[in-house]
Amino acid sequence: MAAGGEVRSIEGFGPARPERVSAKARGLFSMGALALILSGCSSEQLPALGFPRGVTDINDRSHFLWQWAWIAAFVVGAFTAVLILWAAFRYRAKRRVTTGGPEQLPEQVSYHMPLEIMYTVIPFIIVAVLFYFTARDQSAITKISPAGVAVHEIDVNAIQWAWQFTYPEAKEKTVTGTPEKLPTLYLPVGERVRINLTASDVVHSIWIPAFMMQMQALPYVKNQFEFTAQKEGTYPGFCNMHCGRNHSQMRFTVKVVSPTEYQSYVNALKGGVA
Amino acid sequence: MTTYAERPTLSQTRPTEPLSKGRLIVKWMTTTDHKVIGHLYLITSFIWFLIGGVMALFMRAELARPGLQFLSVEQYNQLFTMHGIIMLLMFATPLFVGFANEIMPLQIGAADVAFPRMNMLSYWLYLFGGLMAIAGFFTPGGAPSFGWTAYAPLSSAEYSPGIGSDLWIMGLAIGGLGTILGGVNFITTIFCMRAPGMTMFRMSIFTWNVLLTSILILLAFPPLAAALLGLEADRRFGALIFDPANGGAMLWQHLFWFFGHPEVYILALPFFGIVSEILPVFSRKPIFGYKGLVAATIAIAALSVAVWAHHLFTTGQVLLPFFSFMTFLIGVPTGVKFFNWIGTMWRGQVHMDTPMIWSLGFLITFLFGGLTGIILASPPLDFAVSASYFVVAHFHYVIFGTVVFAMFGGFYFWWPKFTGRMLNETLGKIHFWTVLVGFHLTFLIQHWLGIVGMPRRYADYLASDGFTGMNMISTVGAFLLAFSTIPFMLNIWITRNSPKVTTDDPWGYGGSLEWATSCPPPRHNFTSIPRIRSERPAFDLHHPEVGPH
Repeated sequence: MAAGGEVRSIEGFGPARPERVSAKARGLFSMGALALILSGCSSEQLPALGFPRGVTDINDRSHFLWQWAWIAAFVVGAFTAVLILWAAFRYRAKRRVTTGGPEQLPEQVSYHMPLEIMYTVIPFIIVAVLFYFTARDQSAITKISPAGVAVHEIDVNAIQWAWQFTYPEAKEKTVTGTPEKLPTLYLPVGERVRINLTASDVVHSIWIPAFMMQMQALPYVKNQFEFTAQKEGTYPGFCNMHCGRNHSQMRFTVKVVSPTEYQSYVNALKGGVA
Repeated sequence: MTTYAERPTLSQTRPTEPLSKGRLIVKWMTTTDHKVIGHLYLITSFIWFLIGGVMALFMRAELARPGLQFLSVEQYNQLFTMHGIIMLLMFATPLFVGFANEIMPLQIGAADVAFPRMNMLSYWLYLFGGLMAIAGFFTPGGAPSFGWTAYAPLSSAEYSPGIGSDLWIMGLAIGGLGTILGGVNFITTIFCMRAPGMTMFRMSIFTWNVLLTSILILLAFPPLAAALLGLEADRRFGALIFDPANGGAMLWQHLFWFFGHPEVYILALPFFGIVSEILPVFSRKPIFGYKGLVAATIAIAALSVAVWAHHLFTTGQVLLPFFSFMTFLIGVPTGVKFFNWIGTMWRGQVHMDTPMIWSLGFLITFLFGGLTGIILASPPLDFAVSASYFVVAHFHYVIFGTVVFAMFGGFYFWWPKFTGRMLNETLGKIHFWTVLVGFHLTFLIQHWLGIVGMPRRYADYLASDGFTGMNMISTVGAFLLAFSTIPFMLNIWITRNSPKVTTDDPWGYGGSLEWATSCPPPRHNFTSIPRIRSERPAFDLHHPEVGPH
């Protein structure tokens, strides 16, 4: 739309400077290209943009999408913002004409078909690409293992205002938290876990920010999601759907431990110790 | 050649003596003039804006540091419930009705709206519906605290007893009826009352957007009314419509967001329209790609009813690919609008008067809100940050960026049309910069807050969460934002007796028809109507040397 071609001189602006314009535009484009080449490596070499890496397998997938969606957003956003500010300041009238007759008006252009087609088609291509990766990753993230595949099932029940974690492996023993004593969800590192999620009263939502995952706990509905935790550690978890007075105290702790530690936790639970 | 009658001089004689206060009140309360009803809507919705803003300040003050400072958890929950509903349904939506009432009949060359009495009825429904909805604060149980989304079954009689919730539900239903009637009124007016020569494709972009917004109202508000009345039937008469045992939890989410998402565009479209009016005037060019812009607006309106379930991504109960794709798709016509706006300024003569700088503030702010919207449209990323402060930041960028920036742009732009006087430019610029800095200081940081894991609607957080510093910055921004209202109020006050505008178009290059009548217009708007040969009849009238393009 801008640079390169003939830039008309408009009364009151002084002569246009096509050389400088195109130099600027070239600089801008080469910088953008450079950024793209630099970032054209693996997800590991890009900035993490807020989320911890590699905590779960969901995390691995979403992190890639998160980084590239931001790169796309940043490029599109910077391009558009520069165009906005460029248009506003490059074509700024030198001084408000308050007296002295009418202004010399710029050419009253209202249509430019090729340009209009271009700025409709290009955004479409961008969102189509984003959608492709979104669709690929979301079906992987929401996939549930078929029967027969070994997974650790944990039943999570949300109540006002606490979490209940039931381990079928520990003879259906349940750990119930309170706002004063937050419950801990134990997970084995490197092994597949399936969360069976429901609620006893109102709608809640389980959210573990570090895992880049959340899902609503709905009464009379059983929701499921699976993941494999990949890093031992302690992570905060939250109820993330407003569920009444003490919603903000409905928290829990996630502990990702080694499979043997997990097994001994389950055994202790079975024996009624934990 | 067609000849036109001379402007009759009779209509110029208007009462010069100011009305007494009592007479003025009676006149305003009994009026059917769309301009006065527009004043009522704008003033009332601005008062709600201030009330909702004070509530936000309470919340930001509470969140500045960990621990409960001066609010109880229950009070906090009531505040965010009422803040949300006031800002969306008592401020932003009626603000649209206000602007549409003030400007749309002028832009199509009509003497009034199609149903002037129903217009006033809509206002009373809105006013009393709003008062009813907020009356819960004066009941023993307090205002409702289930969030403005009122998810079932939290909003049931079992989990939210208290008459305040019933008042809220019925107040919204009554106010919603007012909005529906307003939509009917505007559609009828635009279809039936355009001046000779004002074809559909000569209507200004603002009028187009009023039309499409009104159509969206007819699609979105009846489902809301049905949901609200069903909820009240559950609460009072023991109906089981939203009983979770019958799938009521999901039914509410679907119905609510079938209203809720088009509502976002009901708020956005008219304000896109305002910006589309301002940019050409201060760029001295016609709007770029007029027909493409209209098509983009139609596309946004059509897509907006097919994306509601992106609010339900984390329920695990919706078809993710469909709603994700539809949501991505809505970015395309929105992008088209951006390029229309940029193209309007391109090679123009850009004058930085207050309406223009507000429009530029809108462009930059809304751009960022739109981009985070594209991120949230991807379900895996929505799983990561849904319902966190990232989303709070996103929708404030979208809604505040659109509604508030364009509202002030519209106020500075049309103030002479409303009052016959100009607002002060210097104060207007101070006002703009305080809003811009205050807004971005408050909300930019909230994106990070969401990414590090702060959930929305939390009255409190722990010192060990690491949210404290960012919350403090956000709170400081919120107080600056509140402070920004002072220059505006001051501006209204000091210009109340400034000299009257004597020309039809004080900006000099207005395009649409409201600039071809006096400031403010006479009782039935026009004493004569210029020839309408393009989408800029007033410009053609005042600048015949340029000629039709």
